Amino acid sequence: MKDINSGKELINKVKYFLKNYGFEIIASEDRSELTRFAESYIHQNVAETNLNLTVKVINKDRIGVVQMNSIDDHTLSKNIEKAIEVTKITPKLDYHYQLLKPQSYKIKSKYSKDTANFNPLNRAQLVSQLIKEVNKREYKAAGAFKTEESTLLVANSEGVFAFDQGTKVDFNCVITRDNSTAHALFIDSDINNFNINKIIDELLGTALKNVEQIEIDPGVYTVILSPEAVAEILNYTGYTAFNGKTIMESKSFVCHNQGKKIFPETITVSDDPFDELTMPIPFDLVGYPREKIDLIENGVIKDGVYDHLTALKYNRKCTGNTLPPEQASFGALPFNLVMKEGNNSVEEMISSTKKGIYISRFHYVNILNPMSVQLTGMTRDGTFLIEDGKLGRAIKNMRFNTSVVDMLKAVDMISKERQTKPGFIGPTVAPYLRTNNFTFSSKTSF
Amino acid sequence: MKEILKNILDYLESKVNYADLRFVQTEKENIEVENGILSSYNVSTNRGVGIRVLVNSAWGFAASNNLDKVSLQETAAKALDIARASALTKKEEIKLATEDKHIATYTTPITKNPFQINPAEKIDLLVKATKIMLKDKVKKSEGSFSFYKTYKIFISTDGSEIEQTIFESGGGIAAYAIGEGDFQKRSYPSSFGGDYATRGYEFIEEMKLLENAERISEEANQLLAAPSVPEGIMDIVLGGSQLALQVHESCGHPVELDRVLGKEISYAGGSFLTLDKLNNFTYGSPEVTIVADATIPGGLGTFAYDDEGVPACKSFLINKGKFVGYLMSREDAFKLGLKSNGAGRAENWNRIPLVRMTNINLLPGNLELDELIGDIKEGLYLDYNKSWSIDDKRINFQFGTEIAREIKNGKLGKIYKNAVYQGITPDFWKSCDGISSEKYWHIWGVPNCGKGQPAQAMHVAHGTSPARFRKVKVGASK
Repeated sequence: MKDINSGKELINKVKYFLKNYGFEIIASEDRSELTRFAESYIHQNVAETNLNLTVKVINKDRIGVVQMNSIDDHTLSKNIEKAIEVTKITPKLDYHYQLLKPQSYKIKSKYSKDTANFNPLNRAQLVSQLIKEVNKREYKAAGAFKTEESTLLVANSEGVFAFDQGTKVDFNCVITRDNSTAHALFIDSDINNFNINKIIDELLGTALKNVEQIEIDPGVYTVILSPEAVAEILNYTGYTAFNGKTIMESKSFVCHNQGKKIFPETITVSDDPFDELTMPIPFDLVGYPREKIDLIENGVIKDGVYDHLTALKYNRKCTGNTLPPEQASFGALPFNLVMKEGNNSVEEMISSTKKGIYISRFHYVNILNPMSVQLTGMTRDGTFLIEDGKLGRAIKNMRFNTSVVDMLKAVDMISKERQTKPGFIGPTVAPYLRTNNFTFSSKTSF
Repeated sequence: MKEILKNILDYLESKVNYADLRFVQTEKENIEVENGILSSYNVSTNRGVGIRVLVNSAWGFAASNNLDKVSLQETAAKALDIARASALTKKEEIKLATEDKHIATYTTPITKNPFQINPAEKIDLLVKATKIMLKDKVKKSEGSFSFYKTYKIFISTDGSEIEQTIFESGGGIAAYAIGEGDFQKRSYPSSFGGDYATRGYEFIEEMKLLENAERISEEANQLLAAPSVPEGIMDIVLGGSQLALQVHESCGHPVELDRVLGKEISYAGGSFLTLDKLNNFTYGSPEVTIVADATIPGGLGTFAYDDEGVPACKSFLINKGKFVGYLMSREDAFKLGLKSNGAGRAENWNRIPLVRMTNINLLPGNLELDELIGDIKEGLYLDYNKSWSIDDKRINFQFGTEIAREIKNGKLGKIYKNAVYQGITPDFWKSCDGISSEKYWHIWGVPNCGKGQPAQAMHVAHGTSPARFRKVKVGASK
């Protein structure tokens, strides 16, 4: 499925085997390579080519789904036959399944030929450069450097045809020397934007300060969160609270607060594929065009995002956030989370903090109470005291148990600078945040 | 397929220090039901070949879903190219612990092939169970089953030729009681998708979902009206399901030797069980013995050979409280002058083997459950995981559970919600002063253990029976 024509050929084949049944298909073809390093050498180095085809057959409100990673005629016909059989034995849906009509798409994924052609030697050379530089300061490097080219086709029997190609560079690194550590992340579509020297400077800049950590007591603190830390909080919030299905089931704080201003005016969060800093996904996995959806606007709770099935079931509008069929029972996710910038510089945020903590990064975050989006997790790779407006001593890692709702209510400064960070939902655009309500519950020994 | 793989291996033989090829084909059936209505029925097939080469002490791996001879030759050439690139940062010789040549076949022993059970029967069971749970404030109920049949061929330059067919079955149900501004969930037989095993459909039948659905619904309703758990330092008993995750996070991961050697530091983290602690560290009380045992029938981490061609075995990790062993791959075992204990596992054809858990089991004690609870004046019984988090060296942990029960004067009392307990791993295991007997012991399947980049979700299991821990910090999410 190298181009639109091979995508069309695939649809014709599916149509041939399916005869007159309604269908949706999702076909993806990926070529991804990942170089992984630890203890300052490349210890794992892998490449993969794969294709995945999902065929959903719709037979009078009965649905059968088959997935395969081989599309020769024999495999395809056998699997499609199986999907048709499934529609004959499964019970009817409790709502009418409507296929989407043809759509037009305003955006495309970003594609870079240089990223697609970046090879294992190219990656190894940059990793080697990083290792040499950090070794000079007696640090060891560990991380992963991934380049990927992917093609996605979503189509249906009503004529929906959505075809997209994109590339991705995904890099992460931790450097360590005893308990002195630092972490860096990079995500982009274009390898030409990857600046290894900048990353080396960032890593060493943090690590050289993150030494001789002192212990402080747990409690409620003013904290400044890095864009990486904010991105992680936003991902968990998007996952927990802004899934339309969860809202329809009364399992999110959003359903009790829609239209209410519960956060400061400065808080605006959206699912926005048009933001200049994000890596857009042009359509969802039924073929709905992606659009900008406000989740929180000027402190007011708006709504969540909706997938095709939840929209049909609850008579809502699908917002272009449908997941693949194997994840359909979850609902929907905001694929391009974006937090609006503020007016402050990071320097102002620090210099105006009398006593607080700067958090570079979280580790192993999880949900304690989905209703209040109460999260737990640890700090990692650079947590610092702020005293009298200055970033000071490094502190040992702490466990936080804090409600995102309470935390956002107490935000008083947001940076103008925003960064794009990888999130478990998708690329996330986040600023630095200062909040006066962040609860640490315990500490650890390093 | 085996002949094509052998041809590729012949091509590689003279160019590598070591190579292995794995063909994996997986059939999966997944059923999900919500509120008595089928929400998803998916069947999938997935197959491909992964080729791993060690050339001049540098690794390369390439994988493809294209299975014709020419494509696989290109994939092999790609693996060699990648190994040459890896050599740019070479530090020291990579050697593998010795392993005998194995020619073998293995099939999971099952009574009822899940793929031969009529789908309508499976759907009907979930429809009935989820309907039973819809009572009072339970406005949402869900149930799911997953069945896997995985056929694997492994061949290597060591001369091994191993074919395995692994069957896996699993599933469970859950009830959500929803109120104004709160909801509470109860799951059965375990949380996050239920329980899993390398068994056939008989495993699903033994769960007795219909017989337990009403109780689960009642408990969800009771939780919604229950007070939050009191805060304080108190004695607790962990039920088997929660204890399985405690073992997983605070023992299973820290004994992975690749973590100890820094290979996972950038992602999942390291381990406090550093090399100097092996055979020289008190991990827990004398009650605590934990083994890795991939041979135990039915465990989700049960197989005949790992994905490096090493036979499944039983090895001690913690023996009467002392830290005595790691989980090891061939490469990492060599560094300690040891043989692999069969923990090199790959999620699929497109992933390399990493050090992974198998069945990591806390061996049972000799107490009756009544005795375990009877020796607590004021405390809590906690079970069914709701939330988990642990630091990157696996020291500071916190778990939330779906349900807590008061223990007063040795008797179980009222229900509490929003229970959370925290601890420091070795202190916590040292506070264990009683484990219930084999009668209460069960192997809990965990089908979603995440590790590695690219990510790999591994199927593992933990044998546990309820155990008692003294003076643990408990609270309502504070």
